[in-house]
Amino acid sequence: MSELNMLVCVKQVPDPEGPPSAFEVDREARRVIPKGIPPVLSPFDENALEAAIRLKEEHGGSVTLLSVGSGLSRAVMLKALASGADRLVLLDDPACDREKLDAQATAAVLAAAVRSLGGFDLILTGRQAADTNAGQVGLGLAEMLGIPAVPFARKVEVKGAGIRVESVLPDGYAVYEAELPALVTVSHEVGDLRYPSLMAIKQAKSLPVEELTLTGLGVDPASETRLELVSLVPPSRERRCRLVEADSPEEAGARLAELLREEKIL
Amino acid sequence: MALQDYLRDMEGCSRCSSCKWVPFNQVKSWRFAKNCPSVTRHNLHAFSGSGKMIMGLSMVSGRSELNDTVTEIIYRCQLCGACDTACKVYRDDIDLMDVLLALRAHCVEQGQLIPEHMLTIDALKREDNVFGEPKARRGDWAEGLDVKDAVGEKPQVLFHAGCRYSYDPDLRETVRGAVRLLRSAGVDLGIAGADEACCGGRAFELGYQGESENFADDMVSRVKATGASVLVTACSDCYAAFNYLYPRMGKELGVELYHITQYLEKLAGEGRLRLRQRVPKLVTWHDPCHLGRKSEPFTGEWKGDKLLRPVTMKRTGKKGVYDAPRNVLKSIPGIELVEMERIKGYAWCCGAGGGVLEAFPEFAAWTAAERIEEALATGAEALVTSCPWCLRIFRDAVEETGALLEVYDLTELALVSAGEGVLAGGAAR
Repeated sequence: MSELNMLVCVKQVPDPEGPPSAFEVDREARRVIPKGIPPVLSPFDENALEAAIRLKEEHGGSVTLLSVGSGLSRAVMLKALASGADRLVLLDDPACDREKLDAQATAAVLAAAVRSLGGFDLILTGRQAADTNAGQVGLGLAEMLGIPAVPFARKVEVKGAGIRVESVLPDGYAVYEAELPALVTVSHEVGDLRYPSLMAIKQAKSLPVEELTLTGLGVDPASETRLELVSLVPPSRERRCRLVEADSPEEAGARLAELLREEKIL
Repeated sequence: MALQDYLRDMEGCSRCSSCKWVPFNQVKSWRFAKNCPSVTRHNLHAFSGSGKMIMGLSMVSGRSELNDTVTEIIYRCQLCGACDTACKVYRDDIDLMDVLLALRAHCVEQGQLIPEHMLTIDALKREDNVFGEPKARRGDWAEGLDVKDAVGEKPQVLFHAGCRYSYDPDLRETVRGAVRLLRSAGVDLGIAGADEACCGGRAFELGYQGESENFADDMVSRVKATGASVLVTACSDCYAAFNYLYPRMGKELGVELYHITQYLEKLAGEGRLRLRQRVPKLVTWHDPCHLGRKSEPFTGEWKGDKLLRPVTMKRTGKKGVYDAPRNVLKSIPGIELVEMERIKGYAWCCGAGGGVLEAFPEFAAWTAAERIEEALATGAEALVTSCPWCLRIFRDAVEETGALLEVYDLTELALVSAGEGVLAGGAAR
């Protein structure tokens, strides 16, 4: 087939690998405030980008990155661009704060952006975002665009004029084929995103970056939002410590095993 | 703590510019009177400790925003802490170093990231070291050495090499010599090899404080798993992380901690290390920032008005490790120590710290060359230090500038004096 024109939707999230102390829950504002950790691309979105770059390497074409959010880090986006994408499109607006947008509103904004940009053969997203883990945006976007969607890809290949996707199942995988244009949500089994070189990151500054606006797209995220966050409560941590008392280590071990069975841990 | 938590510190800056100078009662000459590489190099107030506090105050007050220029100024700084030491000669209510750290954390939280530092953090996450070298090869430097495997053989003393000593091929003989020296004194020593990881101190200084905490948690587990009762490190950066940063983060290693200069002093005092061979050299000592002012023990976080803070909780830069290396040097027969003008708490930085070596190498090299000039001005034939980062950048600077100055790690001279090595080609073998 001819070259693939691909779009990868990427979300900026606080580094999910930060320690628990790095996520402060503001109950009143109903926000999670990251402390001492950087924004990063949501890891499954990185997998989606890697899948796109591999397809580009094999079949040619181009990879456009699209990110919607508020306070988007140019450094994070340029690093993603430097991994092997060709173009960056940003919609950076306080109304698109990740704490405000639900999946419906995010998909609606992305759909408007995709229609505006136009001409994509294949759209890739992560299977779910690291902050919400909702996993709805990709499929919602496909629905709004009226194109087929294949979730949880562990492998994406071009077959004839369409694509062949291996989709992860709990105990195996299913194979789907779809015509293009199509959307695929990508799982981590695809592989980690390659690390760009420092030179590539610096050169990425010269690649095209476009900025979209909500007004220009004619979309209002607030009117698209369907969910309301009513309360946000940090997890309570409860620790109970029981000491196993016995006269000998053997007896202690046996008693410990009994206790573990009683608690249904073993 | 967040940047806004230091509002009083930033508001309190009287812009006296003391942060740019060696404390005035310690100035010996105009030539070496400045203490801050950043403002000395860039010659603009914004680059000084005071300037950075003004920028921080402006951002916290909503009068300006973080942008690429401000970010670069914040990171064109080795975080050497000389400004903090100088400021505290006059002020009790400003923790300048903490403001600089909070500024970096603010940059990271806002996504104002330096590309070179992003790669360093990627490397740390991927391979547990700042260079991105394979973690499986971390122990290669010790191949063939008579040393226990700390994971399984339960040595009394765990030797922590650190990232630079583990992977820098040019410093391999130096760190191997340090281990040979300790073994010659009969120390029951082990290394973790591939199971050693970065201390996380560099991540903290780059502003990635959350990532740093992950490394601290990991390190605590790794050290406890060895069963060692003593930890000795040859890296000043790691020592400062273990001695100051970890307690600040509420992490306990649960071992007796020594920098190798302290441990050598202890061994010599106990008669286990005998430094008998003459090493006839006129040398000067460079205080690594992380061994000196930045390694001061953590004494708790003071809440409230800092003017009411007990002086024991004020970090003055005076409680760093200054005497141990000098005592070891002086105990080596033939060594004559001559001091530079800027020493101890107000020593000039080597240039490598704070992510400057990675992001602004020309600034790092300039800073090192400045120190080399100061060392040469003493008439010394050798510059001695005890930090692999200082050692690396000084050796590079000497090669670059063609300065007639040898650069040694203290353990190299001690190794020779202990009869376990010879000096050849500017290093101990």
